[in-house]
Amino acid sequence: MKIVSFRRWPTSNGLPPRAMVLIGTAVIFVLTLSYPLLDINFSTLIHAPARLVWFLGNFFTSPDWEWLGHLAVKLAETVEMALLGTLVAAVISLPLGFLGARNASPHPFISHMVRACLSSVRAFPEMMWALVFVAAVGLGALPGVAAIALVTVGFLGKFLAESLEAVPNSVLEGVIAHGARPMQVRAFALLPHAWPDFVSVLFVVFEHNVRAATVLGLVGAGGIGYDMTMAMRLFQFDRLVLIILAIWLVVTILDRLSDALRRRII
Amino acid sequence: MARTQATGRPVPPPRPFVLWPLYIFLGTATVLGISHHLNIDIQALLWGLGDISEYIGRFGTPELSNFPRVASLMAETLAMAVWGTALAVIIAVILAPLAARNLSPNPILYRTAREALNALRALPDLLFASIFVAALGLGPLPGVLAIGLHSAGFLGKVLAEILERVDVGTYEAMRSVGANFAQIVMWAGWPSALQEAVGYTIFLIDRNVRVAAILGLVGAGGIGMELTVAFRLFQYDRAAGLILVLLIVILSIDYISDWARRLVR
Repeated sequence: MKIVSFRRWPTSNGLPPRAMVLIGTAVIFVLTLSYPLLDINFSTLIHAPARLVWFLGNFFTSPDWEWLGHLAVKLAETVEMALLGTLVAAVISLPLGFLGARNASPHPFISHMVRACLSSVRAFPEMMWALVFVAAVGLGALPGVAAIALVTVGFLGKFLAESLEAVPNSVLEGVIAHGARPMQVRAFALLPHAWPDFVSVLFVVFEHNVRAATVLGLVGAGGIGYDMTMAMRLFQFDRLVLIILAIWLVVTILDRLSDALRRRII
Repeated sequence: MARTQATGRPVPPPRPFVLWPLYIFLGTATVLGISHHLNIDIQALLWGLGDISEYIGRFGTPELSNFPRVASLMAETLAMAVWGTALAVIIAVILAPLAARNLSPNPILYRTAREALNALRALPDLLFASIFVAALGLGPLPGVLAIGLHSAGFLGKVLAEILERVDVGTYEAMRSVGANFAQIVMWAGWPSALQEAVGYTIFLIDRNVRVAAILGLVGAGGIGMELTVAFRLFQYDRAAGLILVLLIVILSIDYISDWARRLVR
């Protein structure tokens, strides 16, 4: 049943469709209602563009090329953190995905429990977990990797569980008809069917994790983020320019690379 | 079918190459190599598991004595997410038709719009937030701008892809009656894309609430500031209270957005 539908647009009388008017009104209502919460006064808003232009003008300095070596090391560290987190999470999420899928779980209760755990892990962004882990195990790359891995397990586990549940029954019946035991059904009917989607989403997740890893250093969890904050605090714009360019370059290259790889796999 | 002379049974096809051991070996090598390079001591990690469970135990007693303050911070976080998303929608709606290959009026504009969206998406939101905080001062405004710009990159790309997927005939029909770029976008593009676009926008609000919760780390408003302070001062009870409120809000928004997306599907 379609409750909210935009299929009849343009309408015959030229007015916007009713669903759109309703949603538009609701959105404007929420926005006006929440505006006082933001505590933005008018003069700040008026002066904002000028201040922004002034600040961004600082970026037109000659970059600190001497620093490039250190930057490369830190960037490599950032990408490595994301890769390690993604790989560890992929391994952990495989059994959890099977336990969470309704058609692969040993008991419906277990599947509910696993799913609840996964969604509460996923509820917080990496940064929050990094904050927790830095306080627990100290500064360094380890809390960063742990934070990335934890959130990624939450996402991949749920994704795998959903794609396992989407496997058509006929596939299972075909394998069962050959006398497969329950574990064999999981290995030879469920897993091969869900595998390509799982691998292709791994690339997307890796790319997301690289982006997350670039800022985890803000709380001392390793990677380029620490240098970024320091450069920002000390107004070292010659370094900041390099960092921003480098992050943009690395993420864009990985984006294109993972797109190309994904297209070859599918 | 080939049969062996001796038994007369059909010869099975050759066993396919099993590459699993190779993949497992490569994966293990990568993990060990990287963890060596990053100075992660796996043994120490295993020994430390006991300490970690003890540490998590410290969050056992959430303190909610200053609930009104927490609630107002949470409301500010939600407002930042909503306004940020609104900003993102405005930017994305302007840029997406230019970045859709089959709609864009000229190739240079197409490339520019596409690369702009890519750059917005590539730079992390906390980077945007710290730049805006440095330029505009502390408060929710830098947070709104950061959320808006970063998620505009995401939404713009998705909307452009939706517009590219619209049936060719829809655009063709408009062109054949002499519609210009703006008319095609308004009366063929958005009507066909709206259903999906609304779904993605709801998803984006959901995501932005989580982002808004941590932007306070760099002073961009919301509940994140309070949380960082609680962690820095090792006030576990207060941190646990904040996390608890955040968890409840995020999970309920997750649930509501799931429901809303099913409504428009």
